[in-house]
Amino acid sequence: MKNQFEETLYDAHGQRFSIEEIYYEHKSAHQHIIIFHNSKFGRVMALDGVIQTTEKDEFIYHEMLTHIPILAHGEVKNVLIIGGGDGGMLREVLRHNTIKSISMVEIDKAVVDMCIKYLPKHSLGAFEDNRLNLVIDDGANFVRQSSEKFDVIIVDSTDPIGPGEVLFQHEFYINCKNILNKNGIVVTQNGVPFMQPDEVRNTEKFFSQIFKDNSFYVAPVPTYIGGNMAFGWGTDNKTYRQISLETLQQRFSSAGFKTRYYNPKIHLASFALPQYVIDIIA
Amino acid sequence: MEISLPANSYDWSNLVNQYGSPLLILDCNTLRNQYRRLKESLPTVDLYFAIKSLPNETVINVLHKEGCHFDIATQGEVLLLENNRVPANKTIHTHPIKRDSDIRSTLRFGCTTFVVDNEFELDKFVRYKERVGLLLRLSFPNPNAVVNLSKKFGLSVEHAPAFINRAEKLGIHIKGISFHVGSQSKLYQSHVDAITKCMEIIETNRKTRDVPMSILDIGGGFPINYDGTDIDIEEFCNPINNIIKTLPENIKIIAEPGRYISGPAMTCITSVIGKANREGIPWYYLDDGVYNSFSGQIFDHAIYPIISVRKGETRTSVLAGPTCDSIDIISENIELPDLDIGDLIVAPMMGAYTSATATEFNSLPRTHIIAVNVDEDSDTNIIQLV
Repeated sequence: MKNQFEETLYDAHGQRFSIEEIYYEHKSAHQHIIIFHNSKFGRVMALDGVIQTTEKDEFIYHEMLTHIPILAHGEVKNVLIIGGGDGGMLREVLRHNTIKSISMVEIDKAVVDMCIKYLPKHSLGAFEDNRLNLVIDDGANFVRQSSEKFDVIIVDSTDPIGPGEVLFQHEFYINCKNILNKNGIVVTQNGVPFMQPDEVRNTEKFFSQIFKDNSFYVAPVPTYIGGNMAFGWGTDNKTYRQISLETLQQRFSSAGFKTRYYNPKIHLASFALPQYVIDIIA
Repeated sequence: MEISLPANSYDWSNLVNQYGSPLLILDCNTLRNQYRRLKESLPTVDLYFAIKSLPNETVINVLHKEGCHFDIATQGEVLLLENNRVPANKTIHTHPIKRDSDIRSTLRFGCTTFVVDNEFELDKFVRYKERVGLLLRLSFPNPNAVVNLSKKFGLSVEHAPAFINRAEKLGIHIKGISFHVGSQSKLYQSHVDAITKCMEIIETNRKTRDVPMSILDIGGGFPINYDGTDIDIEEFCNPINNIIKTLPENIKIIAEPGRYISGPAMTCITSVIGKANREGIPWYYLDDGVYNSFSGQIFDHAIYPIISVRKGETRTSVLAGPTCDSIDIISENIELPDLDIGDLIVAPMMGAYTSATATEFNSLPRTHIIAVNVDEDSDTNIIQLV
């Protein structure tokens, strides 16, 4: 019998991975972390029994949380990433040459070091880029105290049960709004609404109070099981969701890089929500 | 009745010389045999060892290798399993009353089965309803149990339908029912009656709604004798098996034995550290007592078998513990030979709820545990500090 990893996210069902090799495993007072190799998904990282990222499908998640807000905005100079210790988000943001500076706030330096070592394809050297300002701090604390303002804030949080809990609270979102430039955009990881409807419900409740325009957009990430994953969208600029395909195509082609999930048509289409998601947030 | 030393007796004085006194000796072979005996007596039942009875890493490791599952009640017990790499899918959390932080840390460990017995507890799971499956604990007061566990916990049967309704309205899945007939239940009839009643509820539920239940947790309470006699556990379990055979195939039966598995697995050795003659009765003071390993005499209502290593003509004597408190008396009426200071007293059957509930009153340290037969396949009697 092969070694197996069984995800323990849900009592009644779940996904199973065979483990070809364990690269890293650590149990601290805060969390249990494991990085192993699976023949289908490449390197896989799980935290407290829940899949966080895999080499095979991470591009969908990271492209959608970066290129959508950056290309919708059109003039992004600086970006704040909350979390994202594996470096995948940073890698995608850095592909935009027009961006001058990126702050990334990760609560634990050890996570960054470990990911550089054991998930090197996520960051692909991104941590070496001199546009990066890596801050080791609690994300909730950083947004409360930051004097710097940002065009785009990307919240790359873990599951709400665990250290990422504060990133799902009202105060955190208000503080994000406070350090957003006029016309800035906040995007968030919002779980799989088919499985966890409360996550989009909560974000909808907070964002609708804080931003003039808020919504969700979706993409299916295979190892976040249960259908589409939702991403939260909050901004005071209502025109960003009305941008034409032509404009997006022009911006994307000036950006000058290739993607594997994102393209301007997906960009527009991803804001079309399935009826069950609309009903959840209604 | 004369109680003899355990069959695979050790050289007690040698162990005490080597490891000190008092001393608890965990025999991993006895532990394995108790697990195997119960498993053979209940072949279709998954056994979840109640860690609380003997929370010890070696016990966890040995039972994990045997294929045993585990019943968790606290965050500390979760930690014990994590440290010993027991996969979370072999565990259930059975404490009916939990803090939010208990639920969260248990979920983060990966255990997704919890037990509830009242609506306030149910409300705590609204936030986690997408992730968990719950067992409803019912109470069946049992006059035959030494410790009645249906007073502090359990919903009374007549309230079950309303509770299940409420859970369904909240979107929380009740996947089964649990009960505990109380510890040291000497009559299988209480198990059988409780199973019958639970199955009525499960059947009614199946007929009236579209969310069938699939688990029946028959708790613990499997008895052992402290007087040196044996209980035929197979005979005890037969009527339970007979009723299990009649249940629908979709119902998985699980149990939470603690004492039956851990009780016989540990032996206490303690030394006479003082003696006195009070009003014509000999008093012997030991280095272990009711504040330490013998705490089960207070909390668990257990009276352990006491054996003097020295043999000889006996007198009615008093056996007391080492603390300054007058309650610290192990036995006020025990037949013992004339003992000297340094003589050893051996008490078998001291695995369950002994060291687990020991205190450090009087700043006396808890009794040290050593393990023997840790490796079943080895010829040598391995002794390892735990």
